[in-house]
Amino acid sequence: MANTIITADQTDTTALGHINVPPAQTWNYLRINDIAFDVPTPHFVGDVYARLPQLFDKVECGIGEDAVTWMAHAAGDARYVEVRAGEPHDPIVIDVDAAGCDVSDTGVLVRSGAQATIVACSHGGAAGATSASLLRVIAEREAQVTIIELVACNEDQQHLDAVGIEAAEDAHIEMRQYALGGGKVALGLCCNLAGNASRFSLDSRYLASGTDVLDVNHVIRQRGRNTRADIVTTGILADSARKTMRETIDLIHGAKFAEGSEIETVLVTGDDVVNKTLPVILCDEEDVAGNHGASIGAISPEQLGFLGSRGLGEEEAERLFARALFDDAVIHAVDDDVRQAVLARAAAVLGADVARDIAEVLGYDIREA
Amino acid sequence: MADATETSRKRSQVEDVNRSLYDFKMSEEGYERYADGLSTDIVRAISEKKDEPEWMLELRLKALAAYEEMEMPANWGPSIEMLDLNHISAYVSPKTKQANSWDDVPEDIKNTFERLGIPEAERESLAGVGAQYDSEIVYHNMREEVADQGVIYTTIEDALHDPELEPIVHEYFGTLIPMRDHKFAALHYAVWSGGSFVYVPEGVTLPYPLQSYFRLNAQGAGQFEHTLIIVEPGADLHFIEGCSAPKYYEANLHAGAVELFVKDHAKLRYSTIENWSKNMFNLNTKRATVGADSIMEWVSGSFGSHVSYLYPTTFLQGARSSCEFTGITFAGATQDLDTGCKVILNGPDTTASVDTKSISKDGGINTFRSSIVVGRRADRARATVSCASLMLDDISRSDTIPAMDVRNGSASVGHEATIGRISDDTILYLMSRGCSEGEARTMVVNGFADPVSKELPMEYAIEMNNLIKLEMEGAIG
Amino acid sequence: MSDQLLTINGLSAGTEDKPILHNISLGIGAGETHVLMGPNGAGKSTLGHVIMGDPLYQVSEGSITFDGTDITELGPDKRSLAGIFLSYQAPVEVPGVPLYSFLRTICQMRPELKTTARKFRERVGKIADQLEIDQNFLTRELNVGFSGGEKKKIEMMQLLLLRPKLAILDETDSGLDVDALSIVSRGIEAYRKECDGALLMITHNTRILERLTVDCTHVMVHGNLVADGPASLIDDIDAHGFARFEEALAQKAEA
Repeated sequence: MANTIITADQTDTTALGHINVPPAQTWNYLRINDIAFDVPTPHFVGDVYARLPQLFDKVECGIGEDAVTWMAHAAGDARYVEVRAGEPHDPIVIDVDAAGCDVSDTGVLVRSGAQATIVACSHGGAAGATSASLLRVIAEREAQVTIIELVACNEDQQHLDAVGIEAAEDAHIEMRQYALGGGKVALGLCCNLAGNASRFSLDSRYLASGTDVLDVNHVIRQRGRNTRADIVTTGILADSARKTMRETIDLIHGAKFAEGSEIETVLVTGDDVVNKTLPVILCDEEDVAGNHGASIGAISPEQLGFLGSRGLGEEEAERLFARALFDDAVIHAVDDDVRQAVLARAAAVLGADVARDIAEVLGYDIREA
Repeated sequence: MADATETSRKRSQVEDVNRSLYDFKMSEEGYERYADGLSTDIVRAISEKKDEPEWMLELRLKALAAYEEMEMPANWGPSIEMLDLNHISAYVSPKTKQANSWDDVPEDIKNTFERLGIPEAERESLAGVGAQYDSEIVYHNMREEVADQGVIYTTIEDALHDPELEPIVHEYFGTLIPMRDHKFAALHYAVWSGGSFVYVPEGVTLPYPLQSYFRLNAQGAGQFEHTLIIVEPGADLHFIEGCSAPKYYEANLHAGAVELFVKDHAKLRYSTIENWSKNMFNLNTKRATVGADSIMEWVSGSFGSHVSYLYPTTFLQGARSSCEFTGITFAGATQDLDTGCKVILNGPDTTASVDTKSISKDGGINTFRSSIVVGRRADRARATVSCASLMLDDISRSDTIPAMDVRNGSASVGHEATIGRISDDTILYLMSRGCSEGEARTMVVNGFADPVSKELPMEYAIEMNNLIKLEMEGAIG
Repeated sequence: MSDQLLTINGLSAGTEDKPILHNISLGIGAGETHVLMGPNGAGKSTLGHVIMGDPLYQVSEGSITFDGTDITELGPDKRSLAGIFLSYQAPVEVPGVPLYSFLRTICQMRPELKTTARKFRERVGKIADQLEIDQNFLTRELNVGFSGGEKKKIEMMQLLLLRPKLAILDETDSGLDVDALSIVSRGIEAYRKECDGALLMITHNTRILERLTVDCTHVMVHGNLVADGPASLIDDIDAHGFARFEEALAQKAEA
């Protein structure tokens, strides 16, 4: 459990600018190049011994250096986990209680050939509260890492979530990212495919409703030869939600035979939605392939026709997509506390009946709060 | 191998062609050239020389103040550090009066345009031609039958001296591109000179395109032409813009402005083949506003310049209006070309379709930059953006930076981008049918550019293919 | 003869720019098995989709009556709830939606199938076993990354779950290997036996029909229904193809 040295009723705040800045920026008037947060100023609490080893300082997190520095300070202490090959282990669970202004700072070193599963879940919320999770992962040669990042906060919560990954040769990183709610949420992610033949796959899903502000920055650096990055993003925007999604595939000189692809599908169900997308491919190498696709708007006519033939009209289809997001999060939650956090958020968004149905159909019990 | 001699012969030919086609200089003797740099004196002198109405001088002075105050964005775009405005002359004019017959154009200037093929194109396939040489239009002419329909094609300077046209220029000039839009828009308004004024009356369809050709001959000079086109309801115009300049070692600057007003049920196609020399800073601004049920089409080929910032912008204001943008950019050695487009969909049922290609080679840098903005009232608006980039070697660079901002729930926006190289299999296949590797690569690149050349009138498509060939073959040597 | 379930009367339909079906009339009784045959591009699939109410196609003339109600103007969702099922030749991928969410939602839409989560799990589990579908499919995204055979099995699963009154199976047999084909055939048999539903098989391959008792065979050529006949017509077509039907249609057009 993370310690915290900030509180919800604190009056002194720090303005954090330049959060989630993409590697390539564009016209400033579009207001897509960054986001700013006012965060509680961490207070000095004496010497802190539990800092992460220095090698984590070099891990780029898409959220930006200022935010990382703030998180490391606000966390008070840090947690370091080392996973060795052949050692069986339970999933590494990072639990951030948002209402309690938790800030966690975690570094995981996955040694050569080791396998690790990491779940970072931030949940709940309270008026005026700010919470954060900073996760840095170093995957050595042939390491296999599964990361599940969930943000399931309430509409009055402000939250920052950062993941930085360093992948050595033949390391495989599989990541699922769920943004299920929060008044103002920044998700920063950077994966540095430094080693040859390293791989990163990201399945990112979000639902923003009410007056939620969701700000995402995905940065994939492809440095090694034969690296692969596959990013699939699906999201739902309802009511007056505002979302900014930046996705950058950076094919760096030397990344021969690298392939990067990103696909975003956004379902817009609200009339007052603001939906910004900046899908960038940077290419400084010849023998590579970069692809991007985006589709923004309603459900496609083909899908609507197919779902119609099974009895679902457009509204029911939209409801199905929203429910499916939570179903999927429950399916991949790995840990029961995490699952319960998802179900609690599902109850808040879809209603208690639907949340119970989700749990029961998938064979889980719902824990009473 | 027979190929070797063939190649070397071709190579020297290419170089000959390359030099003679665009890269020839004419003497500046007897020119009127204003001092380098910018000052209120220079701005006043330009205005005085043009004998402008008071409002225009005021606009220029306000723009100059804005220019001095504004900054270039520091967080994006190619560097323009090498561009030193203190060494650029804002106004250079050959000592000649505007003619409406090529016989009255001074010999060396006429020669220039002959070699660029302008008079020939005029005879064969154009409804009218304007030719600008450095800061002033030296030739302007339009077919009689077109003039009889009430079409006006003249310079803005002349329009300002015409009591009937002056109020129209006053009403539209500078309204679409605000002078504070960016630093070089402000510069443009301070020192603009030359360009065209086109007015197509209601219901008139021009049978042939109009063309303006811009030639910057003077070394270390700027060209700041302003093009103002008004297409009244139900009218239809195709306007072609061509640009070129000889190569100098000093920087040249092009900061033109194009304002296009397309009314209801109207259509405007605006085609550009730009082949500025590779010392040119091309900071051009083009913008169109489109009324209900109207069509705006852009066809854009960018081959030249050292640095480009070029994003033709379309405001789809009227219901059911549409915008089609087809573009190609070829960046070779020493070139850093930041090109693309912007579309703002404001009317309901508006549609935008953007299709661009870029080719990077010999260390050239290509950036495709776009923005699609769907406003709150644009119910059922649809937009698609598709961009493909071809990397021809591993020292070049190609970035794709498309932004989308959608604020209407019923709108649909699609985007796709690919970056890749010519596959070895394709080259091998073509070589197995007897092509040399160079020919095979040229063939593939021409095929890649085909969607753009298809949109151009025949002779311009040929010109574009020649440009590609020059760029491709130039690399062999 | 049993009660008339589906009646198509003088139906012409097509896409916005192309008429495809011309003056089609066809009736299917409750519990009957009909086969619709014809060469590639004859319009068989289109007819299936038009009966389902696919908005891609517009009806220009004629009517479709199902279970005593004129459904010509209804959307596909209403027709589905009324008891029509169309198995797609190429089921559409729906990323982001786990199969479980989808199956649960389409069942809960129907008052006759509404049940508790536990009973639903049991039913789905049973049908999955019957069709040899691995349970882990249920947590995967609908049709995403499924092979052709897997997609068809998932279609059969929905058929058995929804228990429609009329199932239109559009080329369900195409592109299947022997094992998958036998599982799909078993699914069809189970549907006939357990649900006693009517069946319209769209196919140009007769193998899948071997284990079915066919009540009526229809032949379609160039968007026209050119022949109705008994089950034996299938063997005739197997032996001689569609040439004679095509010729007859051409002669009729000349006349």
